[in-house]
Amino acid sequence: MSRNGPLALAYHALFVVFMLTPILVVCWVAFTPEGFLSFPVRHWSLRWFYAIGRYPEFVSAFWRSLGLGALSSALAVAVSVPAALAIARHQFAGREAMTTLFMSPLMIPHVVLGIAFLRFFTEIGLGGTFAGLVLSHIVIVLPFALRLTLASAVGLDSRIEHAAVSLGASEATVLKRITLPLVLPGLVSGWALAFINSFDEVTMTVFIAAPGTETLPVRMFLYIQDNIDPLVTSVSACVIAITVAALIALDRAYGLERLLVGKGSHGR
Amino acid sequence: MAFLALDNLSKRFGTQTAVDGLSLGVEKGEFISLLGPSGCGKTTTLQMIAGFVEPSSGAIRLEGEDLLAVKPAKRGLGIVFQSYALFPHMTATENVAFGLEMQGIAAAERARRVADALELVGLGAFAARYPRQLSGGQQQRVALARALVIRPRILLLDEPLSNLDAKLREEMQIELRQIQRTVGTTTILVTHDQAEAMALSDRVVVMNKGRAEQIATPLEAYEHPATAFVASFLGKTNLVNGVAVRPERIAFAAAGLVGTVRTRIFQGNHWLYQVDTASGLVTVIRQNTGDAMPEEGAAVHLVWEARA
Ligand SMILES: Nc1ncnc2c1ncn2[C@@H]1O[C@H](COP(=O)(O)OP(=O)(O)OP(=O)(O)O)[C@@H](O)[C@H]1O
Ligand SMILES: [Mg+2]
Repeated sequence: MSRNGPLALAYHALFVVFMLTPILVVCWVAFTPEGFLSFPVRHWSLRWFYAIGRYPEFVSAFWRSLGLGALSSALAVAVSVPAALAIARHQFAGREAMTTLFMSPLMIPHVVLGIAFLRFFTEIGLGGTFAGLVLSHIVIVLPFALRLTLASAVGLDSRIEHAAVSLGASEATVLKRITLPLVLPGLVSGWALAFINSFDEVTMTVFIAAPGTETLPVRMFLYIQDNIDPLVTSVSACVIAITVAALIALDRAYGLERLLVGKGSHGR
Repeated sequence: MAFLALDNLSKRFGTQTAVDGLSLGVEKGEFISLLGPSGCGKTTTLQMIAGFVEPSSGAIRLEGEDLLAVKPAKRGLGIVFQSYALFPHMTATENVAFGLEMQGIAAAERARRVADALELVGLGAFAARYPRQLSGGQQQRVALARALVIRPRILLLDEPLSNLDAKLREEMQIELRQIQRTVGTTTILVTHDQAEAMALSDRVVVMNKGRAEQIATPLEAYEHPATAFVASFLGKTNLVNGVAVRPERIAFAAAGLVGTVRTRIFQGNHWLYQVDTASGLVTVIRQNTGDAMPEEGAAVHLVWEARA
């Protein structure tokens, strides 16, 4: 990597400040003792953190978001694997069309998806259900899961699989013992990226979720429409703390760069 | 009937013919090289035997049995790919054990045979390493052990030494030949290196544009090339008045074809000369015996034995 000049460094610094300031301000405001959003904070208090305890729907929405993200990302990856292997390996009619179809949710505004799913799910009796949330989230995270899965499938040398076949391995054995382990880093990265996108999603979900199936961002969004107190800042601070802890743990375990950039390195 | 028989084997990719009517009989225990320039169809031929490329026409028989009717996984051939194609997520031991596992060999015997195979290729001390912790030559030997351990009916080697440096390649050639002699496995080696083919093989198949130009022992092909292509591919050749003469067969003498030394290059154990003559530029190779040799610009006379 080339060394950065002073201008580039200043730019980077500005960029980081721009990204971090809102996060830091939110965390700071969360410690206010006042009953409204005030800044700067002069007295410190955990009042609004304790307050979360009085709103169990925030806690249940958090767990729902976690479950929704984990499940829809896992299913999206499960769909991506055969699709990615087919796209990477074979020239077939409709290959381009298939790729475009899987990637298309990226290009459709989430508002549009939200309204479409709302009508569709109401029609088929899934309106306001968790199953509906999972289905819609699979659609929006699929491009992310597929991108990284595809990258690792393309990088796979088919001669390695041929070698396994020549040693007497059946197709199922090759898939289980060779192909899947070798694309695993891509699957994990794809799942992680999909999870982040699912956890974050509010524009579409706000149309689909009903009381009892609200995700955390939706719950927060609805809360600030009726209230001006700093509860959402303490909830945000908790989410930020959990995210940071998770990232540190992941970095210790796997190396973040590898995970998010999707660079596969095998063995240990 | 030959052990392995390729009968009029052809492969076309679209309009392009990669292999064109190749017929070849390989005897049991024989070491055969497919030799030819890049793109002449060597890999395609090997892949057809392995079963990863389907022939457009022709037949392959192994011990009289139609090999094309057998799935690649059931052919029982040992393959060393040009890129080695080791399983990157498995140790050397696990790589070598894979084929035995597929055969359902019990763990105790498996462990013993894997250890023997790694010992055979001189990698006993590297058994627990992953491929990326091994050098190119070591990886190549793991690939060889992995192919040999299943006791294949035929060993197929696709340019297995091409990624090695000259010294290591020479060592590996000797090792390869020794291992093949010890184990006695019928072997087909693909290479574009004529020295490698000559050094290792019982017979060479010189290929050009998908066809076999000559199938013969290395000595026979070198001394009696069937075509001009074979002659030029198997080393430097002079065409003097329509007669092919190897550069090392030409000597300096008191009388003979008159010429002038254009360039003289010292190559350690021999001298390489380019001599201008009335019949064109002639390449001459002379052993370095320590004696004084003609200088550049010197007038010389060339003589050679009259044979092809
Ligand atoms: N899958 C394929 N599709 C189309 N053409 C192919 C395919 N595989 C090989 N060919 C063509 O067939 C010809 C022979 O290829 P092959 O790989 O057998 O050559 P080779 O003798 O092994 O060459 P090299 O020494 O460079 O490896 C080449 O012209 C190549 O372009
Ligand atoms: Mg080749």
